[in-house]
This record gives sequence, C-alpha cells and structure tokens, in this order.
Amino acid sequence: MKYKKSLVFSLITVLLFSLFLTGCGEKEVNQTDGPTAQKETQKTEKEDKKETVEVDIFQFKVEVAKALEEAAKVYEEEKGNVKINIQTVGGGDDYGAALRAKFQSRQEPDIFNVGGPQDVEDWMDTLEDLSDQPWVDLALPGMLSGATVDGKVYALPFNVEGYGFIYNKRIFKDAGIDVSQIKDFASLEKAVQELDGKIKAGDLKDKYPLLEAVFEMPAKERWVTGLHASNAALSQEFDSSIAAYEAKEIDFKYADAYKAIIDLQANYSANSETKDRLVAVDYATQVDEGLAIERVAMIQQGNWIYGGVYDIDPEVADNLDILPMPIQGGKEDCIPVGVPMHWSINTKSTPEKKEAAKDFLNWLYTSETGKDFVVNQFFFIPPFEGYEDLQPKDSLGKAVKRYSEEGKTTPWVFMGYPTAWGEDVLGVEIQKYLAEKVTWEELVEEVKTKWTESR
Amino acid sequence: MKKNKGWFILFVGPILLAFLVVQIIPIFIGMYYSFTDWDGIGNQANWVGLQNYIEIFTQDEGFLHAFAFTTIFAIVSVFIINIIGFGLALLVTKEMKGNNFLRGIFFMPNLIGGLILGFIWQFIFIKAFDWIGAQLGVSALQGWLSTTMTGFWGLVILMSWQLSGYMMVIYISALQGIPESLKEAAAIDGANYLQRLRHIIIPLVAPAFTVGIFLSLSNAFKLFDQNLALTNGGPYNSTQMLALNIYSTAFTYNKLGLAQAKAVIFLFTVAIITLTQLYYNKKKEVEM
Repeated sequence: MKYKKSLVFSLITVLLFSLFLTGCGEKEVNQTDGPTAQKETQKTEKEDKKETVEVDIFQFKVEVAKALEEAAKVYEEEKGNVKINIQTVGGGDDYGAALRAKFQSRQEPDIFNVGGPQDVEDWMDTLEDLSDQPWVDLALPGMLSGATVDGKVYALPFNVEGYGFIYNKRIFKDAGIDVSQIKDFASLEKAVQELDGKIKAGDLKDKYPLLEAVFEMPAKERWVTGLHASNAALSQEFDSSIAAYEAKEIDFKYADAYKAIIDLQANYSANSETKDRLVAVDYATQVDEGLAIERVAMIQQGNWIYGGVYDIDPEVADNLDILPMPIQGGKEDCIPVGVPMHWSINTKSTPEKKEAAKDFLNWLYTSETGKDFVVNQFFFIPPFEGYEDLQPKDSLGKAVKRYSEEGKTTPWVFMGYPTAWGEDVLGVEIQKYLAEKVTWEELVEEVKTKWTESR
Repeated sequence: MKKNKGWFILFVGPILLAFLVVQIIPIFIGMYYSFTDWDGIGNQANWVGLQNYIEIFTQDEGFLHAFAFTTIFAIVSVFIINIIGFGLALLVTKEMKGNNFLRGIFFMPNLIGGLILGFIWQFIFIKAFDWIGAQLGVSALQGWLSTTMTGFWGLVILMSWQLSGYMMVIYISALQGIPESLKEAAAIDGANYLQRLRHIIIPLVAPAFTVGIFLSLSNAFKLFDQNLALTNGGPYNSTQMLALNIYSTAFTYNKLGLAQAKAVIFLFTVAIITLTQLYYNKKKEVEM
C-alpha cells in the first residue's frame, strides 16, 4: 500500500515538473531569436559570441528546397562559423499566413520572401535597406523595380520566370502540325482544333496511349487562372506592376481576349462537356498527371515545372517548349516574364545575423559556387549580369531566355493587383463562369467593382 | 480540510493558469482587436469602434453564406453522426465474438488528424470515385467536389466517418450502465426489441445523448482542418465554412480586425447554441 502511494506521488510530481519545464523551454527559444530588446546584451557579448551565427531562412519555393539546403551546407563549410536553418512552406496564401504567424510568435526569421509592391508595403517595417549590396549594380534593367521604394532597394529578386502555353514538341510533330506557323490567336486556335481532331480520331493512339485532350485546365488553382492568365491581358493595359498597383480602377480593355484564352483551354480539355469539373482539377493533375505522362499536349504553366516533370519523365521534360498566350488586339507573340519573389532581410535581427544573411545571399548570387547552384540546381534564370557562361540547361529555361533576348516579353503586373483580388475575386469568378453560374459580362462587372473597392 | 485544499490548488492551479493564459486572456485581447483595423503586421491598430461589426452584416456576403452553410452542415452532421454512433454502440454491446476488436476498428478513424484525413478523402472523392464511376458508367460518382452539393456531402461523409467512432464509445459506456434487470423485466412483460429500445434504453441513455450531441454540434461548427484539406472552400468559396472564412479574412485579405470581429460573433454563436442545447437535453434526462 505504501509502495503504491509513493509510486503514484512520484509519478504526479514528474508530470507536474514536465509541465513547468515545457513552459521554461518555450522561453529559452524566445530569448535566442528575440527582437530588439536583446540587442544590447548581445552586442556586449559579441566578442565571446564570434562563434556560430545562426541564420534562419523562411522561404516559399518548394521546388528548390532541397537544392537550397545543399547550397547552404556548402556555404557553411566555406565560412565555418555560420549555421543556416531553412524552413519551407508552400506558396500562395499559406506562405503569407505562415510568415505572419512566425512574426507574431516572435520567431522572426532572418531571411524571408516578399513578392511585389503590395508585399513590400505591408512588410516595410521589417525590411532591411539593401541598397549598398554588391549585387544591386549587377541587376538587369527593371529587375529591381518590384522591390524599390523611394530609390531604396529592399529585396533581392529570386529569379526571372516566364509562363505561357507549354507544349510537348513530339506530340505536335507527330500530329503533323508545324509549330513555327503559330504566330497569333487565330493560328493557335487552328492548330489546337487540328490536334483535337486527330486525338478524337485516334490517330495518335499507338504512340501516345494516354493522350486524351489538347489542354488541361486547373481551375482549382486560382493563381493560374486569376493571376497568371489574367496577367496576359492586363499587362497590355498596364506597363508595370507599379502602374497596376497605383491604378484605382481597371478598364479591362482586353477582357474579350482573356475570355478567348480561358475558353480555348476549357473547350479543348478532357472536361469540355462538363466544364464545372475543371473546378476540381489541381496543379498535380495538370502537370504531373497531365503533361508529364503525356495525357495532354499543352498546359498553361511556367518554367518552374521543369524539375517536377523531369522527375517523372526526363524525355518529356527535355522536349518541352513555350508558345505565347496571344491577346487579340494586343501583343500576340509575347510571354509574361517577371520576378516572382524576392529575398528580404529582417531589419530587426541582430547585426551579426544581418551581416551573415547579407553575405549568404551575396555568395549565392555572385560567387562561382553559388551561381552554379542557382542555375544548375535551382533551375533559376538569374536577373543579374555575370552569368554569361552559365546558360540555362533545361528546355523551359532556354525558352524563357529566348523570349527575353528577343524582347518578346510582357511584365508581371499581377504583383501589383489589390490584395487577394487575383485569386479570391477573379479566380473565384472564373470558377463560377466555368460552372455557368455567372456570365462573362457579370464576371467583368464584378471584378472591376471589387478592384475599385479594394483601392 | 486544509490538506485537501492544498492538493486542490496543486492539481487545479497549473491547469487553471494555462487555461487563463491560453484561452481567456486571448479572448479579451481579441475582443479589443475586433474594434480596430489591425492588419496583422506591425503594431498599428487604430480604434474604429463598431465599424467591423457593421461591415460584417451589411457588406460581407461571404460570412453570412458561410454561416448558413455551417449551420446546415452542423444540423445534418449531428443527426447522422449520432444515429450511426448509437447504432454502432448497440451493435457492439450485444454478446458477440470480436466485440472489442470491432470497437477498436470503429474508433480508429477518430485517431487520424484532420488535415491528413481531408487529403485522403479528397483523393478518394476525386480520383477513386471518378474511376469507379467511369468503369461502371455512373456519372453521379464523377466530378465530386467540383459542385457545392458534392462538396457538402463530401464534408458530411468525412465528418461522420471520423466522429461516429468517438460517439460510439460514449454511447457504449452509457449502454453498459443500464441494469440488465430492467431489460429482462420488460422482455418478460412482452415488450419487443423496438419497444424496449424506445421506452427503456433511450431514456436511460439520455445523458450520453446530451454529451454526444454537444460534442458533435460544437465540432461541426468549429470544423476547419478538414474543410481546408478537402475543399478549401471551393468551388468558388461555396463550401467555405465559418472557421475557414475567418481564417481567409485574416490571412488572405490581411484584415485581422475584421476577422477578430467575426471570431467574436462566432464564439458567441457557438456558445449560445451549445448552451441552449445542453439546457434542453439536461431537462430531459431521467434520474435513475
């Protein structure tokens, strides 16, 4: 009896102590990453603390997470006294929400991502001024515009990306369609109809057994329809993301051309009879289970899909190219190219961390090893000079570079859309349109009203 | 007496402290923020009074739609979950081999976390149903989660699958508390199974019904993980439930003040509904 009592007692005591210990544990974490209050004590301890500086990176690009960690390891070995911790949270709303949560919980990262002018404005209090960094002078013209406010540069552009209609060269060739003849919307539509005819007639069945339609349209991914597709039309109306950001209302001059693009993809997809089903099609179904396995011949996506497609079928990946998204009445032979994300440094971190962070980013984009990682492992197209001997090796990177060099590009103005307008208003309305719950005219009215309201 | 009080404070103290810090205080801080226009970053929160609340009722159709959707979902789910849970409980309290094994199996879905469950069921609804539908030629099985109706029933199926086991456990313990003598007496007097069920078993299980309905009702109203993972509010935000609506207002639209106001309304609604339900159910409980 006595034995049992003391056993119970000691168990309870252990449980109670563990409760207190977890509470203490939390506090310790807060102190090491703590903001300005800790700056003073850490400054005086600088001499003792010359050893390992920890830099926390909180980034969003899932596609490069592994390669980035490898690059960090190489950097750590070179420098010796830096430790880099990388956390990746998938893009879209999730990253923004997670970043906010991080800041609110006082676990602020040292390096994080911001998108365009809206993001820069929102996070202005936490952005370190990076105008004095070596890479600022190396940036290609216009690449820093998204992160420059009042002449000061606040973030480093990740890379340059482009998107358009990515197509499988072999399928088009085997269908006897000459891609060099596709110069505008009319010729694109004709080619699509021809390919569709051949698919439905079963001409390509033996070579491509899974091929069932020309397009796949992921209406579930509202960034594809609401941000990217609309950008093709709205970039003819605004000439930069800043112009879009400052616009109090939109004309939506090319709304009909935009409709043409949406309809083209929907009408020649596997769900052309049941367009509302497109609302459940997501990125994986479009890319991994669509283009990569040759179930469809063409998708609207960007050069970021290369790595994913390569993992599934390297031959398909190497035989991809990009066709423009023609906007009737505007430019019909361009693809939207822009800077999707930037690296920014937390101005509230300690000076040592900020130094280490700046050094790491600099190393990544200007040192030989870093540059090799950026081009060959991340599959990035860097927006800087000094990469003349490092040409993109992947098919899609080459395509984007080709369009850039020919000057056949339009900017990414969607970075300047009002908060959530692209995905939550336009993307949602496109879903309703496909499900035939609203007409196109109602859609245009609604999105125009919501734009003006948000400003 | 003194000794008891010491133990009382020792055990309840830490929990009470944790509850205060993690639940009560944030509720009051949240109420404060609901009267401001905070955007989640930085520390400028300007007082705007009742503007957020007015905006919710006059401008924000999304919230009202989510409210209606959540209410319908809750009513339907509560019925289905409790009927299935009670049915399963009746099933496994009979004298049958493998009872314990069955109980374990039925309870297991409850152990899977909300997000993973949502993604697994999303796969089942979109890919598996679609394939079966294509093979058998049943078009009703295809294209799930691309319409509001299928999204709604998808959520109901998911939730019922997850919570029925939990309710079953509650009902099992209640059923086992009914004295055999009562049931035997009734059987001897000529009551058949259904009559026994209606007049003896159910009234005596009433306290368990109180608990079961309360838990399923509050869980249905607060549903978030599964909603996010299964439909993410789609198509076109029509299956967006209250918690998801508040989340997107806060983190997509960066309107934390407004989201807080919605959260306050949400809190009061759920509290009132569940307290009312508890009150009525308690009145109907039969004393042994």
